[in-house]
Amino acid sequence: MKLVVAVLKPFKLDDVKEGLKNLGVHGLTLSEAQGFGRQRGHTEVYRGAEYEVEFVPKIRVEVLVDDGQVDEVTSTIVEAASTGKIGDGKVWVIPVEEVIRVRTGERGADAL
Amino acid sequence: MLAAVTYVPYPSWLNTGDNTWQLVAATFVGLMSLPGLAVLYASIVQKKWAVNVLAMMFAGFSLVLLVWYLYEYKMGFGGTSWGGGVKDGVQTQFGTGKGLSYFFHNFWGKPGPILSSTGEQGQAVSAANTDIPFHFPTSTLAYFQFVFAAITPLLFMGSVLGRIKFSAWCILVPLWSTFVYSVDAFLLWGGGYFAQEGSLDFSGGYVIHMSAGVSGFVAAWVLGPRLLRDRKHALPNNLVMAAVGAGILWLGWNGFNGGDPYYAGTDAAAAVVNTNLATAAGVVTWIAMDAWLSKQKKPTFLGGVNGMICGLVGITPCAGWVDGVGAISVGVICTIIVWVAWNYLSKVRPFSKVDDALGVIYTHGIAGFFGGMLLGLFADPNMIEYGCGRLDANGQVISTAHYATASGSCTPVAANGLFYGGGTHLLWEQFRAAVWVIVWSALVTFILMKLIGLVLGGARYKDEILEIGDVAIHDEEAFPEETLAERVGAFAEAGITPAPAASVPSVSPQEAPPPSGTAGT
Repeated sequence: MKLVVAVLKPFKLDDVKEGLKNLGVHGLTLSEAQGFGRQRGHTEVYRGAEYEVEFVPKIRVEVLVDDGQVDEVTSTIVEAASTGKIGDGKVWVIPVEEVIRVRTGERGADAL
Repeated sequence: MLAAVTYVPYPSWLNTGDNTWQLVAATFVGLMSLPGLAVLYASIVQKKWAVNVLAMMFAGFSLVLLVWYLYEYKMGFGGTSWGGGVKDGVQTQFGTGKGLSYFFHNFWGKPGPILSSTGEQGQAVSAANTDIPFHFPTSTLAYFQFVFAAITPLLFMGSVLGRIKFSAWCILVPLWSTFVYSVDAFLLWGGGYFAQEGSLDFSGGYVIHMSAGVSGFVAAWVLGPRLLRDRKHALPNNLVMAAVGAGILWLGWNGFNGGDPYYAGTDAAAAVVNTNLATAAGVVTWIAMDAWLSKQKKPTFLGGVNGMICGLVGITPCAGWVDGVGAISVGVICTIIVWVAWNYLSKVRPFSKVDDALGVIYTHGIAGFFGGMLLGLFADPNMIEYGCGRLDANGQVISTAHYATASGSCTPVAANGLFYGGGTHLLWEQFRAAVWVIVWSALVTFILMKLIGLVLGGARYKDEILEIGDVAIHDEEAFPEETLAERVGAFAEAGITPAPAASVPSVSPQEAPPPSGTAGT
């Protein structure tokens, strides 16, 4: 099993979610994140004082998948989230030792 | 036929329209402090300081209320000055000539409580108004004047927040109100020296805003700056709530300026309209300057709020004495001056060296000063505060044949500025009063801050406390996270925590003990 982690542009969430649903992915975890990468931040001005905001709002999507599904899940995310511009984000895959469904106690692929 | 004696709801000197408007106006002004200013300041400081601001707001308002009724109202508005007595309810000009004794005989009211039945229900009397008897009781006038006294220190909290000790604030507020506010109020409004000399301040451009700006600046200087980290990250925590506070401030100002003629007449209405004209002009001016002249060339909302305050403060000393053109002019001019000061003067000593956290010296101090001075230019003698006519034995209006024209010994009460043929006299009197208020506010605030620092071993918190903010000072945070905290202490010991399922299997929610009420039993 693998954990697919994707840090993406927030407005791409709907596309990514639809793409994963169509693949038959049963669930994902979403969190709001602030990213710092090659994309430039922006300036905010409050009462005449200028503040530099180097972090950019991102979403962090996490999906647990069976080994055989990794390629199609990652390519679906990349396809759905891509705009071709700087700041589109990253996707990475981490090996997972064990998965347990809390409700039933099922383990491994059955818990996905 | 009615019996010879029957009940009446109020004395014949009372006018229900005047009394109603005055109480409504007073309540509007009260709302400017709570919640208006409390919410505005609490939302434009960092999240970690929001509770501290709110606590200081509510404590400050309460402290001024108590001292006001215990002794301070009479120091500002009583019929008797410390230097002498009162004759036929009028502050008499003790002393001869124009020397120092004349000044000090008309300097300050004698303190005293207004908590008795006559203190609350008797007809309001003040040396401030010698022309027409008041149409409401002392309670009405005293409460109206209280809400002004209350908001003044709350305004300059914006200069000292983020490092002043809560205890220092609670000592400073009543002392400052006693030794700065009541003196300036008596001198300019209570029939004191400057009132007699002809200096004018419709609703507090000097007594309130300039005094708050200068006092806050001096107090901030004595305190020293906020933490460097706080100054580098001084972001507001909620602009939506800032809009709520600012909106209450604006519309509350209808009572602030509309209540100061003391009668629900034409000048009250004109003052309300002028207030709004100047304010709208201020908002538009600041946003336009931000959009066209600032480095970023963006229209900013909080800039609009600054412009709003500049307009409101600028028109405050003028409200019922200028016409609509004057009002718009005052709003635009004050906002331009403050915008330039905010962006450029702030880089020059002493402004660059004092951490006036929310910039009260600009939007209140500078706007108040120029508002008062501009009255000397824009006061329109045809804007009549009180006209000429006849009153009946109860002091109610019965004839207004000469309302707008001089009649016998009566000339309509109005102000006359340089642009309307009044010469430079008013401008000079405005300048003298401004210098006094600046010097007195600065001097007394400096002394009070030094004394409080001595008594408390420093008026600012240690850095360890400043780094944390609200939680360190109040054990509260503005937006607590329920899931992260669990109740401890007497509550847990009272047996309210659910018993283990094994021993008591069938407790339904209805049978469960009530939550907090029984804590500690």
